[in-house]
Amino acid sequence: MKSPSTHTRRLSAGALLVVGLFVGTTALAGCGSDDDKSITIYSGRSESLVGPIFEAFTAETGIAVEARYGSTNDMALTLETEGAKTSADIFLSRSPGPTGYLDDLGMLAGLDDDVLAEVDASNRAANGNWVGFAGRARVLVYNVDEVAEADLPDSIFDLTGPGYEGLVAVPGSNSSFQDWFTVFRLRNGDDAAIAWLDDMVANGSHFYPKNRAIVEAVGRDEVRFGLVNHYYNHQEVVKNGDDQRSANHGFAPGDDGGLMIIATASVLESSDNKNAANRFLAFLLSDAQQRYLTDTVFEYPLAIGVAAADRLPERPADTVGAVDIDDMAAEFKRTIEIIEASGVLDQ
Amino acid sequence: MNEPSTVTPSTVTPSTVTPSTAVPDRAVRHRAGSGRPPWDLSVGAIAVAALFALPGGYVLWRALTGGALHLLVERRALEPLWRTIQLAFLVSASAALTGTALAWLTVRTDLPLRRFWRVVAPLPLVYPSFVGAAAFRSGLTPGGIVHDLVGHLGIDLQFRLQGLVGAWLVLTLFTYPYVYLPVAARLSALPSSLEENARLLGDRPLQVFRRVVLPQASSSIAAGALLVFLYTVSDFGAVHLMRFETLTQTIYRTRLFDQGRSFALALLLLGLALVVVAAERTVARHGARTEALGDRSSLRIPLGRWKAPAIATCSLVVGLALFAPAVSLADWGLFGWFRQRRGLAELRLDWGDVAGATWSTVWVSTVTAVVAIAVVLPVAYLLARHRSRLGGIVNGVVVAGFAIPGLVVAISLIFWTLHASPFEFLIGTMPVLVFAYVVHFGALAVRTAQVAVSSVPRQMNDAARLLGAGRLRRFFTVDLPIMAPGLAAGAGLVMLSTMKELPATLLVSPIGFRTLVVRIWDTYEALYLAEMAILSLVLVAISALLTWFLVVRRADHLA
Repeated sequence: MKSPSTHTRRLSAGALLVVGLFVGTTALAGCGSDDDKSITIYSGRSESLVGPIFEAFTAETGIAVEARYGSTNDMALTLETEGAKTSADIFLSRSPGPTGYLDDLGMLAGLDDDVLAEVDASNRAANGNWVGFAGRARVLVYNVDEVAEADLPDSIFDLTGPGYEGLVAVPGSNSSFQDWFTVFRLRNGDDAAIAWLDDMVANGSHFYPKNRAIVEAVGRDEVRFGLVNHYYNHQEVVKNGDDQRSANHGFAPGDDGGLMIIATASVLESSDNKNAANRFLAFLLSDAQQRYLTDTVFEYPLAIGVAAADRLPERPADTVGAVDIDDMAAEFKRTIEIIEASGVLDQ
Repeated sequence: MNEPSTVTPSTVTPSTVTPSTAVPDRAVRHRAGSGRPPWDLSVGAIAVAALFALPGGYVLWRALTGGALHLLVERRALEPLWRTIQLAFLVSASAALTGTALAWLTVRTDLPLRRFWRVVAPLPLVYPSFVGAAAFRSGLTPGGIVHDLVGHLGIDLQFRLQGLVGAWLVLTLFTYPYVYLPVAARLSALPSSLEENARLLGDRPLQVFRRVVLPQASSSIAAGALLVFLYTVSDFGAVHLMRFETLTQTIYRTRLFDQGRSFALALLLLGLALVVVAAERTVARHGARTEALGDRSSLRIPLGRWKAPAIATCSLVVGLALFAPAVSLADWGLFGWFRQRRGLAELRLDWGDVAGATWSTVWVSTVTAVVAIAVVLPVAYLLARHRSRLGGIVNGVVVAGFAIPGLVVAISLIFWTLHASPFEFLIGTMPVLVFAYVVHFGALAVRTAQVAVSSVPRQMNDAARLLGAGRLRRFFTVDLPIMAPGLAAGAGLVMLSTMKELPATLLVSPIGFRTLVVRIWDTYEALYLAEMAILSLVLVAISALLTWFLVVRRADHLA
């Protein structure tokens, strides 16, 4: 008599064979290259937005672009996990926070001087390890049917007042909001920042998980005001035309509410394609691509000498990049803790 | 000498069934527990468990070294834990009720259009939860189709779907197939004679359901409810949009800048899952089990005057879970199409691209389903045929892993592959992606496979052996045909889940590999809602086709 589980064993052997063949055939396709003929980009910006730039780069230089897309935090987490063994040459981030986090881990390489020279000093890392390539302004989106332009606030501190009770949406868990709040906190001190957030909660602010949800909600007057990035409203207007009943309002120049959050590009220290990678960054900051980013994606161009699209509000004076943050992880951890403790996420 | 294949159930006549049901003590209540498992089955099951333990092992290691374990007794860990438990129990209960009712109606009654219902009932599983939740939320808000239709009737709909109620409703509607599929498989493998006898003795349909069907299906219901529970605790998309802060939400929020806490909470999640898995196993072991022998096609309980309520129930559930989101999506899609016709922004869809993503979705989910079934079969044999402590441990490891959020599974497998295995060269290739899917979703097939294995009557196997059939031949001609509906149900669960899986697909797939859900996510992030809607509808249509070919039709033919 054979043992009762012979069939299981045979089956396992068959399964192993199948898996083995599968591994063998597909592994061949996975070989990377390190001869500056192709670059690998981990992108926290979505394919719909940056894919055309990658294609244009390949068309112009003959250098192929391999891209992995995901949320910026997931990409940074993946890069941290992969460490020096990552196949990525470039990391495109929605904001300086995750980039600075990887820089603190020693994962980023110094960029070429001609790339750094493309942007103003406030739009690049002090140590030259990353560069901003597009900016999004923090603005107040409001419902145009319910709010007269003359009544709009000058300062973000006005929102804690009686005129805004229960009317403002705050994307407490959103990463752009956390970028902004981190700078807000470092500039004004923890006490003032915490007091502002507590006042917002006491004033009945509403929590929304995403900027986009806020813009939609403001458009239909589910909530009257919202703290968001500027470009969501522009995209809604493009899609809906006059049916979109919301508009952006920039706070007064110099007010803490109006901050530029910049999308950043960096090259991995472990990259074997640093030349091609820097070439891509220069391409990203070229006039044509900066124009694409402002005309089509409605972001602020950061390369010196490129004007923002006419429809964009006035460029905020300050950027997140201008504030030098020593320990990115610790500061963002603190930000998250303060936001949680305020109770704004439960609103 | 007779061919062993003549013993397959398709040729079993009602008369040969009678003995097994007439002697309920021995034959009908046959259960696990026949001695120690053979060593090679144990080794196989341990190997499978070791692979499935990789994400959990990574979570444990990171949590222990993350220096944040003290958080686990603090308010900010216990509050999300409590919310998670509340939501998961509510969703499990309602999904169990819904899934069981639908399974019984579509398998055992003379419900009109049964085949139609059997194809559409499992489909809500395929909505990525962020799509489903967004469709529901937006449909009910101004500009949404429901709100505006009601508005035409002069009602200003103030109701906003959110919080516990919103998350509960959406998750119930999108997870009841975890109960429906195994219970439907169980019922269609159940001898009809028990129910016929009950009816002959004067029970009405509902009494038959309560006194005969429910006890027989209880282990499948519990298994399905367990999956619902584990899915709910690991879900991010729905709770995020519904603004309900569960453990997984906190894990996501802290995943980069506060990893110590993120992994500590993931460990808490895993602990919760292990407790629930152990509890379910205890319950399941006490359930009645009847071997699958019988003429399954004959029994149709006439619904009589219950026909209208039955149709209404099916319509309500499938209408809410499948068609309501589809209508919301179609509304967005049509809006985009009209917008293009009016000369405004064009639809940004490359149909060649859509076809490519569709094909990728189909083949990778099919391959994953087949591999997952093959991988969990040793575990299923161990659980069904041998009562051992090893079985309990293996079951816990494999099933509880389903509670680990997909993102954590992906990150852990990247770590293991690159830094602690000889398979570094495989990173960014299909095998690692399929492996990630199997580890994440294999749990879905374990219990259905176990039920399938235990539904194979030993006597039949013995008969085939006496007739000279070899092991392999017996497996393919006796075991496999009888197990087919159960295995197909498990494969269906794995397949539909794989089709909508996002984090692992984004982080572990070969660069450039795009499934439909990757496209859906991309268009969603870029605010191209019309495009997202159209892609989502393609995903639903494709999963309907696959469910029909691979699950419903196959179950019918092979059973």
